[in-house]
Amino acid sequence: MRAFEAMNPAAVTVTLLLTACITIFCLEPVLLGISLACAIAYYLMRNGCRHAAFHIGALGMPLLFALLNPLWNQHGETVLFIINQRAITQEALFYGGVTGLRLAAVFYWFRNFSDLMTSEKLFYLFRGFSPKLALIFTMAVRNLSLFRAQAKKIQTAQRALGLYREGHLIDDLRGGMRVFSILLTWALENGITAANSMSARGYGSGKRSSFTYFRWHNGDIVLLLMSLILAAFVIDAAFRGILTWQFYPQRIPPAVTLPYLAALAAYTALAMLPVIYEGKEVLTWHCLRRSI
Amino acid sequence: MIRSEKVRRVLRIALPFVIMPALVLLLPRAMQAKYYAPVTFLMTGFALLLFLAGFERRELGTRRMILVSVMTALSVLGRMLPVIKPITALTVLSAMYLGPEAGFLTGALSAVLSNFIMGQGPWTPFQMLAWGLIGLFAGLLAKPLRRSKLLLYLYGILSGIGYSMVMDIWTTVWTYGEFSLRQYAAAVISSMPYPVVYAVSNLIFLMLLAKPFGEKLARIGKKYGL
Repeated sequence: MRAFEAMNPAAVTVTLLLTACITIFCLEPVLLGISLACAIAYYLMRNGCRHAAFHIGALGMPLLFALLNPLWNQHGETVLFIINQRAITQEALFYGGVTGLRLAAVFYWFRNFSDLMTSEKLFYLFRGFSPKLALIFTMAVRNLSLFRAQAKKIQTAQRALGLYREGHLIDDLRGGMRVFSILLTWALENGITAANSMSARGYGSGKRSSFTYFRWHNGDIVLLLMSLILAAFVIDAAFRGILTWQFYPQRIPPAVTLPYLAALAAYTALAMLPVIYEGKEVLTWHCLRRSI
Repeated sequence: MIRSEKVRRVLRIALPFVIMPALVLLLPRAMQAKYYAPVTFLMTGFALLLFLAGFERRELGTRRMILVSVMTALSVLGRMLPVIKPITALTVLSAMYLGPEAGFLTGALSAVLSNFIMGQGPWTPFQMLAWGLIGLFAGLLAKPLRRSKLLLYLYGILSGIGYSMVMDIWTTVWTYGEFSLRQYAAAVISSMPYPVVYAVSNLIFLMLLAKPFGEKLARIGKKYGL
């Protein structure tokens, strides 16, 4: 068992996407709460207590949506109070809060996903789908740092020529445009040279193979199967209407039965997978250090 | 852009004629609750897939591919500028000179790549599609756009407003879980400064870049005999 991020990217993607998709599809407050809690737990495990602004923004969502929804939405039968001849209902307030909860949970899952997926892993995933697109993608990523470095060089050279005054707004703007123009010329020409040398080495003349770090181990297949089975169980329950809430005109939660609890348990297990893998890694590390 | 010919052919026929209509018809039945947001998300994803599957067939050419990656990197760097962003202008320009496929790819890839920096989210497919389509249409209209400056500026302004309105659809669907004209109007009004900012920044960058970009590409074309 390896850390979650060391697993095969395809298995990781399937697990996270299934978790996030169920969150998107299923408007079930308890399930959304579980999803949000697991996503936050995993996020905190990886990042510690940094990025306070993101936490405040994401966790403010349910509150914001709960306050906004009644302004547009007048369904529901429990009127709390009336503003400007508009009824603010308890049901609309609740529904807004639930959609906000969904958005917050999805935010966290996507944030975790983009933290985990380095561009190299994304390349691995794209590769099977489209070699051409993967190539354009990696070259663009490489160009980013290349162009930044080149822009710095051009700027230094322009400064050395003594063309601009420092801290002068118009000169700064003109200088910026000039650097961009030079960079554009250089980038286009550099690109053509790269393309020429690629075709000189036979790019596009036959089938290509490519190197990758990632392989399928038994552990990856276990992870993939686990997440598929758990997600199938939850999705099946959702389609049978076990997890369906009625929001308007009256709030009616689904009956708390064994299948309902089982579906929630399955979802909890699915959403906990990243935390479990990560936690096991932390525990091993802790034990190893203790034994020194 | 899918490797095996068979899978591609199946996808090309199955996606628009079978999978997408089936989802639209079946999902509302399966889930009594609100289903707009997920369906919109899935549809956008499928539409993207469809475009990409279509492009693999066309021969893009090594040089054009590399130029697309260059333009993508430039527009991603440009997205880090404060307030005004050249991403649409650069997409339109590369579409005009490199063709509709290149335009679509530049727009869509710039969206994904810059979202690694700006924040990836469920809106990414929507942005990809919106920017990709701006590029695609600019590529299809390449001839008149190259001939008339006025038309190019008009396209820049319209695509800025159009982009904002397309993203407002996303906002509406995600915020309210359903789509109605009244809620859409509310979303459009609440996003008010943005369409203007987009339109103005597109206009500024097209004015600044259209001529030098055309000249530079013409020069490269002459120098390397494209």
